[in-house]
Amino acid sequence: MRDPHPAPPPSPQVVSRRRALVDGTATTLAAARLLAPALFTGCSLGLPPRARTVKVGMLHSQTGPLGISATGLRDIELHAFERINAAGGLLGHRIEPRAPDPRSRIDLFVRKARELLDDEVACVFGCWTSASRKAVLPLFEEARKLLFYSVQYEGNESSKYVVYGGMVPNQQIVPALDWLMSPAGGEKKKIFLVGSDYVFPRTANYVTKKYLAGKPLAVVGEAYRPLGDRDFAAIVKQVQESEADCVLNTVNGTSNLGLFSALAAAGVDPEKLPVFSTSIAEEELRSLVPAQVRGHYALSCYFQSLDTPANRRWISEFRDEFGFDRVTDDPMEPDWCLVHLWKQAVEKAGSFETEAVRQAFRDGLSFAGPGGMVRLDPKTQHTSKFFRIGRIRGDRQFDVVHSSDAPLAPDPYPQIAFPGWSVDWTTDGITRGPEVKIDGDV
Amino acid sequence: MSIDDFFWLYDLPTHQLALLFVAVFVGFYWIGSILLRPLLRPVVKYTAGANDIVGYVLSCFCVFYGLLLGLIAVTAYQNVADAGANVTREAAALSALYEDASRYPEPYGQNLRWLLRDYTRYVIKYAWPLQQKGVMPEEGTIRAAAVHDQLLEFQPHTPAEQILHAEALRQFNHFLECRRMRLYSVTSSLPASMWFVMILGAVLNIAICWLFDMRFITQLVLGGILAAYLGTMMFLIFDMNQPFRGDVSIKPEAFEALYERMNEG
Repeated sequence: MRDPHPAPPPSPQVVSRRRALVDGTATTLAAARLLAPALFTGCSLGLPPRARTVKVGMLHSQTGPLGISATGLRDIELHAFERINAAGGLLGHRIEPRAPDPRSRIDLFVRKARELLDDEVACVFGCWTSASRKAVLPLFEEARKLLFYSVQYEGNESSKYVVYGGMVPNQQIVPALDWLMSPAGGEKKKIFLVGSDYVFPRTANYVTKKYLAGKPLAVVGEAYRPLGDRDFAAIVKQVQESEADCVLNTVNGTSNLGLFSALAAAGVDPEKLPVFSTSIAEEELRSLVPAQVRGHYALSCYFQSLDTPANRRWISEFRDEFGFDRVTDDPMEPDWCLVHLWKQAVEKAGSFETEAVRQAFRDGLSFAGPGGMVRLDPKTQHTSKFFRIGRIRGDRQFDVVHSSDAPLAPDPYPQIAFPGWSVDWTTDGITRGPEVKIDGDV
Repeated sequence: MSIDDFFWLYDLPTHQLALLFVAVFVGFYWIGSILLRPLLRPVVKYTAGANDIVGYVLSCFCVFYGLLLGLIAVTAYQNVADAGANVTREAAALSALYEDASRYPEPYGQNLRWLLRDYTRYVIKYAWPLQQKGVMPEEGTIRAAAVHDQLLEFQPHTPAEQILHAEALRQFNHFLECRRMRLYSVTSSLPASMWFVMILGAVLNIAICWLFDMRFITQLVLGGILAAYLGTMMFLIFDMNQPFRGDVSIKPEAFEALYERMNEG
């Protein structure tokens, strides 16, 4: 039987399958070799090269009573990290910020700090109140990670794993008391201490009372309200009845709204009874009523109104990024300095590892911040800084009425209040003196 | 292995991704032609009019498969369009809220404006790059909560303030709705079963082509063209599958324009 579909005779024009295969493969390979570099430029296995990253935690309340103050810290840290990233990163790593919200609650500070540490962040910048710092401190000591804390605080504490960028009493409260007793400060005779009821105001006032013992400025009263509370009418009445001629205010967060409302309602004249606040800066002033705070004072290491080229440039760069009407203030400036001191230490150590970074502190690091030169003291892991007093203006800014001649060295354990106590992290760490009862008799 | 394992493909520039899809489909067809065609062809080779039969089958198959691909492509495009519209609506709601905030008495007004600006900046600088990696950004929720807190802090004292506050709260709720829908779009995509049906269809389509009895070079060229188009269609659906991923994706232009306006003072 004949095949109904006989195979056609081979023709010289028809390309054989083998020939087609060989030619096709050769052509494909040649084309691939020619085109691949142009088509897949920058690709490695089809993927663009990814930058290495290092995670850094930012533990600041973004909501709740302290949100108003602490969001400025978050933003200045973001600003610093963005600039470092734009300049090529740190040790070839892009900084990846992680910013959970502890919502001004101590229990959440602990939980979020644990989450950050579990997430293997290189270090954490954070906390506002001393209560929050003390709550998370054991976690950092256990994880052997560094916490950078930029807010002024009461001292009487030192940890190997905390770098303190804010003022301690010998850099803020003690020079303020000296100024109040001087002719420039009006030679005040009676001072009333008002605070939020937690560790910072209690300890700061303890140091104040110890320092003023036997001095011409007498403490005529002391009163506290819970953090977040706004009912200060009774306290203001107490202040007026005490015939104090100045007030030291260690109230924190939105409670200041209540305090200054009560002062204004009671007709307190700042000329006759000025309030000297430790925790009011430009960021807080945006929530306070200007008419109620004008003429009162703040104790700080930095004011936005400082008229220096470095400060003007810093403010301008921050505003370019975060908005034309944003303000800079005391904890933001130390925070900026802390980020850069950490950067210096990491670069010096060539590593993000905690111990290597701590070793880099030993050589003494310094940074020219917007408020002046800042030096990290390797013994205390605190920073030296200028002390300044600013009078609140109607435009939510300050007139700087006093400035220290040079940066003041930090002393977390002033001997007047904590005799026998000292710290040196380059040698033995903390030397303990007798236990001090903060709420006891002075 | 899931469809998520292939999401690294979104990191490729569009032209490279398209080329890769075409190359994979054509390569699959050509390799199949070389290796499988000799095995499959005897099934139909000695049947009279076999090519006609294969042609009819292919035509029928292509109608159904084409319909499926077309409908899926339309759905994917609709998803992208909806996500884009949500982004625009969110930015518009934010803009309206910003306007309302400027009518609030100080310091509430300024605080609200700062918080809204902070949210907008976060969306542009941090949320969008995360969305482009297919990650749902979480910290925007914190910023939205801060705005909400600030709104609830305000106690209106006059009828005008009451109206303004009610309108701002309504606008804020609308903004939250749009924001939530944007976040859902970040991870929404075609279900894996749909991808399975599409890929199986493409393989069967190509397999039918291997059954044709024709000159080898002709088969390579004609089948290659069909495979290239199938690859292009798959690329199109894949590219639109994730509205915020890839070169051709929704961009934060609406937020950028708003942020620029917010910073004009």
